[in-house]
Amino acid sequence: MFSYYIQLAIKSLKSTIGTTLLMVLAIACGIGISMTALTLNHMTGNNPISEKSDQLFAVQLQSTGSSSTWSTTDNVPEQLTYQDATNLMRALPELKHTPMYKTGFSVRTLDPEFAPVLRSSRVTTRHFFSMFDVNFLYGGPWSKTVDENPTFQVVISEELNDKLFGGGDNTGKEIFLNATTYQIVGITESWQPKPKFYDVNNGAFQSSEQLFIPFVLSSVYELQSWGNNNGWKEERVNNYQEKLASEILWTQYWAELPTKKDQDKFSQFLSGYVSQQQKLARFERDDAKGIIRNVQQWLDYNDVVGDDSYVLVAVSFMFLVVCLVNSIGLLLAKFLRNAPHVGVRRALGASRGQVFAQHLVEVGMLGLLGGLLGLAFAYFGLSLLKNNFDGFDFVASMDITMFLAAPIIAVSATVLAGIYPAWRVCTTLPSIYLKTQ
Amino acid sequence: MLVMSDINKVYQTELVQTHALRDFNLTVKEGEFIAVTGPSGSGKTTFLNIAGLLENISSGDYQLDGQSIVGLSDKELSRLRNEKIGFIFQGFNLIPDLNLFENVDVPLRYRGFNSKERKQKIEHALELVGLASRMKHLPSQLSGGQQQRVAIARALAGEPKFLLADEPTGNLDSLMAKQVMELLEKINKQGTTIVMVTHDAELARRAERNIQIVDGQLCDFTMYQGGATANEQEAIA
Ligand SMILES: Nc1ncnc2c1ncn2[C@@H]1O[C@H](COP(=O)(O)OP(=O)(O)O)[C@@H](O)[C@H]1O
Ligand SMILES: [Mg+2]
Repeated sequence: MFSYYIQLAIKSLKSTIGTTLLMVLAIACGIGISMTALTLNHMTGNNPISEKSDQLFAVQLQSTGSSSTWSTTDNVPEQLTYQDATNLMRALPELKHTPMYKTGFSVRTLDPEFAPVLRSSRVTTRHFFSMFDVNFLYGGPWSKTVDENPTFQVVISEELNDKLFGGGDNTGKEIFLNATTYQIVGITESWQPKPKFYDVNNGAFQSSEQLFIPFVLSSVYELQSWGNNNGWKEERVNNYQEKLASEILWTQYWAELPTKKDQDKFSQFLSGYVSQQQKLARFERDDAKGIIRNVQQWLDYNDVVGDDSYVLVAVSFMFLVVCLVNSIGLLLAKFLRNAPHVGVRRALGASRGQVFAQHLVEVGMLGLLGGLLGLAFAYFGLSLLKNNFDGFDFVASMDITMFLAAPIIAVSATVLAGIYPAWRVCTTLPSIYLKTQ
Repeated sequence: MLVMSDINKVYQTELVQTHALRDFNLTVKEGEFIAVTGPSGSGKTTFLNIAGLLENISSGDYQLDGQSIVGLSDKELSRLRNEKIGFIFQGFNLIPDLNLFENVDVPLRYRGFNSKERKQKIEHALELVGLASRMKHLPSQLSGGQQQRVAIARALAGEPKFLLADEPTGNLDSLMAKQVMELLEKINKQGTTIVMVTHDAELARRAERNIQIVDGQLCDFTMYQGGATANEQEAIA
């Protein structure tokens, strides 16, 4: 019977092609917009490392001057100075914690024919990889010795490995970063946390870096931060060494603190460090302090999921409802126009339930068409948005659940909307239409 | 057999109450050809719709083929209607989007026949009315008489026991009306019981039994043997 209903639905949709197109378009607009909003929300609301969300902590220090104000809710800067970062890095070796910042290089292989590519790079320590669950295809992180003694070693991403060498195990090979040769020690699996929680400075949806080099290189080798450099103090910064010694804030700092004990220990250490810096008269403020925030707190603190994102979803679903209500009007008119034929079917033996089912199948088919077109609209909408969010591939993030969700939401929403018109036709007495002469 | 006992049908609208049938009693035997006449608004269509299970009754009892239909669900009524009853309407009521084959197919679909059975029954029914060659045509491509023959084929395709026709010749000229009447007579000879509402006294006279509905009540002035009928009618006149 279902296939019969489908045949009838196709006939009916074709016979009123104008109305059909209008309804499909209305549903597609509603679905397209709500799917776009939902994808955005889904992605921004995503906890990028949920299994470790409570164990990874962003570290902040109130190191600014007494009169300085900051754009954060608690007036504490998001980043650390280079000196604080190196001081913290050397403490508590039994815990994993690491400074980091973003830089970038012109990258090429030793092959003179190879055209250099520009790639961003993370400057960090070996702990980065295990802390953030970055897996390796080949090799692994550099050693503890390399973290302590400047060595030109590099970890590259799968994508860059493909770009440079066309894939394969290339650990041990050398590549140029600007004019310096680095030895590849590891190749990571493709890794893109969404949002890019460990450094939200230049947008929470940036691509992750494709190169990783030891932090200690910063002390001997001039590396420019590709992120934010925030100063608050009037001081002389004429060269790189002066920048390293300055109060300019430009490094991020993260700690992995799996237990309450670890967290207390780290917090205590931070307070001690702050008092020490106060005694040295470096930290000027009376309320100077150290703060740790886990991943979710950090994302909330940085307002990665704005409240407006939920408003957007709500508004877009209201729009979908408006589209559906319009379609119901069209459907009702169409179904009632067809009621005499329904009367004939009833006279020939169709039950009320069969008439109802026939009409719901037609509605469901409309919903399916609308849903598929809406998916195309959403796809288009997201690729437009992509241009506004540098480097982030929204379309790629329209995951499989979204592809399934759109038609399912469309079909169930339209079927729900179609219940009333279908019910109206099937409850009308057939004899009324057969009597009129 | 079709037995109606003391049936009343009251239409209740906001303003008026219409007694469309009153204390209506009728027995239709298998194989009969009954013509129903009566003034307009007397309740003929109402009677036919009740007989065809399209409307329920206000009181009384109705037995179709030995089974009382009082209290049956819509699903059960629809099944009975589908199996036992064929309908023909004054306005033909073919579905315009469907070609002849698909129109005749409608009752068979609800019966649940497989596609091979359906095809064979459709072809057979269309052959019976002489339109097998036009299976792929749309109703709009046919004349009124041809459309009514398709409607007859559709009503007969599922081989129902009863054929209910509401002024089947009302929209046709006399020649076409005659052809349709001949077709109905042929069908009746093959065993289908026919109840036909008509305005046309001439056509009514060709039926073996005539009943008249006046103001919702039945005046049955006829007998079963054809010969006697004419005499008695004359006597009444
Ligand atoms: N659905 C209805 N609602 C109210 N009154 C109706 C309805 N159907 C028929 N009637 C009334 O019942 C009476 C009988 O109608 P009908 O059976 O159609 O007569 P006929 O077919 O003999 O012309 C008429 O007075 C008509 O107005
Ligand atoms: Mg009538």
